Amino acid sequence: MIRRLEELLKEAREELKAASTPDLVLQVKGKYVGRKGEIASLLKGLGTLPPEERKSAGEAINRVKTGIETEIDRLLEGFKSGEKEEKLKKERVDITLPGRRSPSGRLHPVTQVMDEIEDIFLGLGFDIAMGPEVELDYYNVEALNFPPDHPARDMQDTFFVAGDVLLRTHTSSVQPRVMEGRKPPLRIIAPGTVYRKDSDITHSPMFHQVEGFMVDSRITFSDLKGTLAHFLKSLFGPKTGVRFRPSFFPFTEPSAEVDIGCVICKGAGCRVCKGTGWLEILGAGMIHPNVFRAVKYDPETVTGFAFGLGVERIAMLKFGIDDLRLLFENDLRFLKQF
Amino acid sequence: MKVSYNWLKEFLDGAPVPKELGRALTMTGTEVESLAESGASLNNVVVAEIISCAQHPNADRLKLCEVKTATDKYSIVCGASNMKAGDRVALALIGAELPGGVKIKKSKIRGVESQGMMCSEVELGIKDTSEGILILPPSAPLGASINDALILGDALMEIGVTPNRSDLLSIRGVAREASAVTDAKLKEKSFSLEEGVRETEEMVSVSIEDGAPCRRYTARIIEGVAIGPAPEYMRQRLEAHGIRSINNVVDVTNYVLLELGQPLHAFDLDKIEGRSIDVRLAGENEKLETIDGKVRELEPSMLVIADAKGPVALAGVMGGKYTEVTEATKSVLLESAWFEPSSVRKTAKKTGLSSESSYRFERGVDIDSVPLALDYAAYLIKELAGGTIAKERIDVYVNEMVPAPIDLRLERANAIVGVDVAPRAAEYLSKLGVTVKGTGEVAIIATPPPFRPDIKEEIDLIEEIARIHGYDNIPTTLPSAPLKSGDAGKATRTKRAVKYNLSRAGFNEVLNYSFVSQDSFALAGGKDGVQLSNPLTEEMVIMRQSLIPSLLDNLRDNLLKKNEEVRVFEIAPVFLPGGKLPNEVWRVAGLLYGLRSGEAWNLPKEWVDFYDTKGVVEGIFEGLGLESSFEVGPVTMEDSKIFHPGKSSAIMIGGKRGGVFGEIHPELKLRLDLKRPAYLFDADLSAIIDLSARKKAYRPLPKFPESGRDIAFIVGVETTYGEIISAISSLDTKLIERVELFDVYYGGNIPQGKRSLALRIIYRSMERTLVSDEVEAMHTRVRDELVKRFGAEVRGEQ
Repeated sequence: MIRRLEELLKEAREELKAASTPDLVLQVKGKYVGRKGEIASLLKGLGTLPPEERKSAGEAINRVKTGIETEIDRLLEGFKSGEKEEKLKKERVDITLPGRRSPSGRLHPVTQVMDEIEDIFLGLGFDIAMGPEVELDYYNVEALNFPPDHPARDMQDTFFVAGDVLLRTHTSSVQPRVMEGRKPPLRIIAPGTVYRKDSDITHSPMFHQVEGFMVDSRITFSDLKGTLAHFLKSLFGPKTGVRFRPSFFPFTEPSAEVDIGCVICKGAGCRVCKGTGWLEILGAGMIHPNVFRAVKYDPETVTGFAFGLGVERIAMLKFGIDDLRLLFENDLRFLKQF
Repeated sequence: MKVSYNWLKEFLDGAPVPKELGRALTMTGTEVESLAESGASLNNVVVAEIISCAQHPNADRLKLCEVKTATDKYSIVCGASNMKAGDRVALALIGAELPGGVKIKKSKIRGVESQGMMCSEVELGIKDTSEGILILPPSAPLGASINDALILGDALMEIGVTPNRSDLLSIRGVAREASAVTDAKLKEKSFSLEEGVRETEEMVSVSIEDGAPCRRYTARIIEGVAIGPAPEYMRQRLEAHGIRSINNVVDVTNYVLLELGQPLHAFDLDKIEGRSIDVRLAGENEKLETIDGKVRELEPSMLVIADAKGPVALAGVMGGKYTEVTEATKSVLLESAWFEPSSVRKTAKKTGLSSESSYRFERGVDIDSVPLALDYAAYLIKELAGGTIAKERIDVYVNEMVPAPIDLRLERANAIVGVDVAPRAAEYLSKLGVTVKGTGEVAIIATPPPFRPDIKEEIDLIEEIARIHGYDNIPTTLPSAPLKSGDAGKATRTKRAVKYNLSRAGFNEVLNYSFVSQDSFALAGGKDGVQLSNPLTEEMVIMRQSLIPSLLDNLRDNLLKKNEEVRVFEIAPVFLPGGKLPNEVWRVAGLLYGLRSGEAWNLPKEWVDFYDTKGVVEGIFEGLGLESSFEVGPVTMEDSKIFHPGKSSAIMIGGKRGGVFGEIHPELKLRLDLKRPAYLFDADLSAIIDLSARKKAYRPLPKFPESGRDIAFIVGVETTYGEIISAISSLDTKLIERVELFDVYYGGNIPQGKRSLALRIIYRSMERTLVSDEVEAMHTRVRDELVKRFGAEVRGEQ
């Protein structure tokens, strides 16, 4: 009996394995566990067994029956859900069609870079200050230690309005304005629009700068180096090379021109860096004692550094833009790239 | 400024190679902007002379030339046609390798053997362009290497000289700096001056008027000169440094200017009236024809060199035509002087004349080198043009300049630089020619050399110390300061928020020039604008008072480029009449044009309209938590220059007029040739910045259900939605939570002059669940109010 049961189970399993449609499964079902199936006939034969064996034999038969039935149910269920899946698959969409978008615009690349610069300095505790774009000669040059009738004034071609009113040529004008109104210690950046009478492939008559300065009782040139190196590495990446060269600005002394390793050729020398491997990125220096005197600070008790950088140049380097004029043509095909 | 490396080497012992020298100069503040080792020395390229030049037998466009060097003859096939028999040329012989990588081999061209190549300047690597082959001066020695004939194998450095360093505007000055920043040693040139017996003072008198901006005037006379061309080496050098060769005497003055940095002027002595030189300010109504042939009206502020008759030169700026050295000149009066920098600068600016001379005088020349330059030039003139140098120079020196000693506190130097530079401070300064006295622990006394007028105070010395110490050798530290977070300020925060809000609403940010044309200015009704006195172009003459004309320009430019969907905005100040300085008021303005959602396959093709624009304006306020500060209001006549009077609205900011939005005026649309109307908004951002945002505060969510009822009704079109809403909200009840407008309908069965509105009114109590009767009663009150107030004809209720 037990052997017969084992054979039955094995046969049923094999037949079920071969049954490729729900109908075939149902046929197998009828053959084994149907009312006139093999199991049913085995159950009928229970009566021929001695009474003490009937119970265990019955249990064995039922176990096999349940096993076969479970297998059948599983298969039928599988067929059913397979059909559903097939049906759903036929409802498929073309996933490569473009998605439905709400319109989205871009901020001007100059704004994006300006925000990034501001955020780095805000993180260092610098406050943002603003000043007027139409400015007095006093704040634009005189308070910044440009001697009258000195060639240093030619460093920047100025647009004049009338008398001593002009368009500021740099955001450095914010320096004396802020210092007049506030006492040290100061940590300030002054982003803004500036104007110079110059227009060609590398000069725009209007462009953007960020001026920055820090004034306290013990600020040194090495602090200037550290602060700007940190800033440039934050902006261009931690591996960026930074070098400081002596230079001249009337309102700082010692003055420095700050270069970064060329972002295009990584220092190997290319057209952008004129083969030097370095790119001039900002001007800086220790605030000249005459600037402090002009705002009634005592240069014996405070020192400070200042720096200024051109935002367009940085945007061009960061985004690989090779023509400055594109930044002011406002062509949407250009603006949407950033 | 251009500097020839070979010339520099004449003043230096042990100069590093050009690249190294360039780096050393750059890293100490004398920026070498470019280094062109162009015209590298060439092998097997020699000077040859053309004996004959004939047509190539087998080619129309080729020539067959016979050429000779000192020892040999060659036959050369050549494609150029600018040469003739007798010309001296650069001949590349078999085996030569030219800068472009061309190797010269024996070859047959159209059946005729060519034994070399006659070269152009491009082929020699001297210039970027050339026409035909290079014709050398007849003086070029036959058979000589082209390196000698053209001074090849040199390096030309372009140096950026900052305005404070006038001492670097000469070969000798750069050499002096190089000797301070490298191991090279400075060597001065020596020459011996042979003077005649006649005294200079017998031949000419020099005086400086009291108070004239001239401290020193020296003069010499060279009699019996023969004017002619300067030698090749001198002409080459002048040309390489950007100066045109004139004749031997004038070339010498320019040569000395380049070499020593002292501008000189040579007069034709015989044309100096009364043989007297008076350095004085110009008188009223005096005139001078300058060398460039222009007659200049002089002003009393201008310093002139005058003879008995009148001005003969604009001091330090340009000489006069009449007294210039010409081929007929027999005797030369040579001037070497020191003019007040600011005086020269003013004259150069006023006359618009900027010369190599004025450039140096403006920055300050070395007053101690004035006589040296005079003597050196006299020596060179005698060498090149012959003649006799009169005995003793004239040297009028008023008010001698003596550099003042400066106290330098070493502690101060350390405090500025941030590293201990004190031990080597004296050494660094000495390298630069500064005389150091009283080398102590605490302070030193430093006297700058006469050629460094820029060193005036302690900080100037500290800079020099830092520079020579090397910025690379100064450590990198972060300043120690109390921790604090930076404050961007409300203006910046608001501007940023509005920018991000608009970009999310599909707007691209534009940047336009602040200065616009008069037409643009007038278009937006500008008044009393800030006008530039020296504008760059007619398009940039006046500071704008509105951003809208610029946005319209942006629209037109983009439509021309087939960018058909335009959504742009700008945030910038406008410049309104104020006090001495204008009132700078920030505005935010934007423009919408084209399809609302662009050309998308899965979005409706609908055009932007008034309500898109209004939605953007509402969004700006809502984004800042200021929705309650925005209201619409009536537009003015002024607004209607740009806006459609029926389809525009004022932007009321906190109850005050602060901008406009709406559709472009149809006439302006026509004028701009737009296919569809453009929509614009323009608001006073400064006013928005000044408003305080609503404080964010939690309100409890309702605990009891809402109950919505609809009502659709017909009213006259003159009845605004705003009036209807305020009528409903003025009803004396707390049960109306909100009103939603879900349909506005014109046409169809709605009579002319009327429209149908459909509202859903949401009723709710915060205290209990409303029963149906209460809601019905309330809804009836609403209906009755609409009928009573606006004569509404109710179409349906639910």
